[in-house]
Amino acid sequence: MNATFLLWQKQMKKALVHPEEIVGMLIQPILWVILFGVGMRSLMGTTTPDSGNDYMTFVVPGIVALTAVSAAIAGGSTWLNERLIGIVKEYLAAPIPRLSILMGNATSIVTKVLIQSIVILIVGLLMGAKLSDHPLGLIGGLLLIAGYGIGFSGFALAVASSTDSSEGYHMMIFLLQLPLLFLSNSLYPLQTLPAWMKIGAYANPTTYVVTGLRQITLGAAPTMGSIADIPLWLCFVVSGAFAVFGMYIALRAFIKAIK
Amino acid sequence: MVDPVRLGVAMKEEAIKTKDLTKQFDTDVLAVDNIELSVLKNTIYALLGPNGAGKTTTISMLTTLIEPTSGSAQIIGLDVVQNASQVRQQIGVTFQEIVLDPDLTGRETLDFHARLFGIGKPERLARIDELLKLVELEEAADRRTKTYSGGMKRRLELARGLITKPRVLFLDEPTQGLDPQNRENIWEYIRTLKANKDTTLLLTTHYMDEAEALADQVGIMDHGKIIIEGSPRELIDQMGADNVRIMGSGDKDAFCKNVKILPFVESFNSANGTIQIGVDHGNRRLVEIVETAVKNEFHIDDIAVSKPSLGDVFLKYTGRQLRDK
Repeated sequence: MNATFLLWQKQMKKALVHPEEIVGMLIQPILWVILFGVGMRSLMGTTTPDSGNDYMTFVVPGIVALTAVSAAIAGGSTWLNERLIGIVKEYLAAPIPRLSILMGNATSIVTKVLIQSIVILIVGLLMGAKLSDHPLGLIGGLLLIAGYGIGFSGFALAVASSTDSSEGYHMMIFLLQLPLLFLSNSLYPLQTLPAWMKIGAYANPTTYVVTGLRQITLGAAPTMGSIADIPLWLCFVVSGAFAVFGMYIALRAFIKAIK
Repeated sequence: MVDPVRLGVAMKEEAIKTKDLTKQFDTDVLAVDNIELSVLKNTIYALLGPNGAGKTTTISMLTTLIEPTSGSAQIIGLDVVQNASQVRQQIGVTFQEIVLDPDLTGRETLDFHARLFGIGKPERLARIDELLKLVELEEAADRRTKTYSGGMKRRLELARGLITKPRVLFLDEPTQGLDPQNRENIWEYIRTLKANKDTTLLLTTHYMDEAEALADQVGIMDHGKIIIEGSPRELIDQMGADNVRIMGSGDKDAFCKNVKILPFVESFNSANGTIQIGVDHGNRRLVEIVETAVKNEFHIDDIAVSKPSLGDVFLKYTGRQLRDK
């Protein structure tokens, strides 16, 4: 636990050293909301008077998921770099649990994701998205995002532990990233998808996290279809399970790499 | 009857002990081949060998970074596989490559490391100051390590290895890539360590002068095996007082046969075209050796007399030169 905190602290400190990283971290989600969100919003806005704001409300969770995935990929890349230049050896020779090394990384990635999510939410609100009136709306949403972020960080760390090349890492992560993002309801409603894509979306944790956010954090978006077909509790269970599963495969890949 | 000298050695405690320690990477790559190591407490042991001899793999197993394929190793009586986390509490390591986070300052690097080992704040701060002073990095302490020179990085790493007060310190090629002045510095710190702390040191090097200068005991390693072991003095003394090294062509067999039986020849070795002759007095015997060569129709291309070094020992046992880059 203590070691996880230490490694988290070190990663955060390293991020603070680079102002360009902080600036990029904050600007990237803003660009997504403004360029993608507003663009799509004007397309949707032509159907009914409310549908523009509805799409903004609808897509904010999707952009959060997308940002979480990008942050996890960047985190995995940092980890690969630390492995390749040997910094990981310092952790390995120290009397700390292997899992805490990975957890330190995953939690530092998630910290960045949570900060970015709040930025997205604020910009989204300015652009017309509506918040829910649920008392635990924000806390619940951040929990869902944290679970998802840790889960996908786990995937990224696992891939970064099983390859020795940066190109290989990005290629493999790309194969994971695309279906995880687009085979879900993050950017379009589930109802409009063809059957085969629906099946994929139901098997994808992104769908549950995004749906959960739409239920607890964001307001209703009636013109974007129903979201009630996945119960909220299931969204939390899937997010938590995804976090555990992600860290499990990260640990397995890491231990295999140091055998 | 028990030999009293041997008994004395056996009673001294071992800091590092391995039995048939082996690491096989792929089916055909035997990086470390059944090595038996025994390093007594509070001594310096040097593993000397060329790149690729298996030194780093040996250190990786002893520091619990990788598990042996077979055999066992103990650090202060603790098994490196079964008691890996306790072993980690007892040891310090510096790696062959420089392993520093470029974004941390020197002070942060030491602080982070000490915290990984759970050392409390007052003790940590005191030790950081003490070690920064020892390795003469007080002025650079608050600069990021990416601004450090190679020698400063090595010194910081040495301080990091020491901050946890390890009982066994592993230094993998501690002076690789350093200029002579920085090497001398690192040697000096290592000697200070030996003088006032009860730390056992295992270092690897491909510089024979480093092993000679620092080690109480040297193990020459090649192709995953420890070929010969002893104190630098013992190893060098068996080469004779002076070493004559000859390369040439012609009737080598006849020359070798006849030179071997000269009364002043103390040791003889011939491998890969280089003939090594240990003699009691090099300059005085040169003439006789050259005469023998002429008589046996062996044409000398190159001949050199030198005080024997661990490099000559290495050549004798491996048939290859240990290049001192």
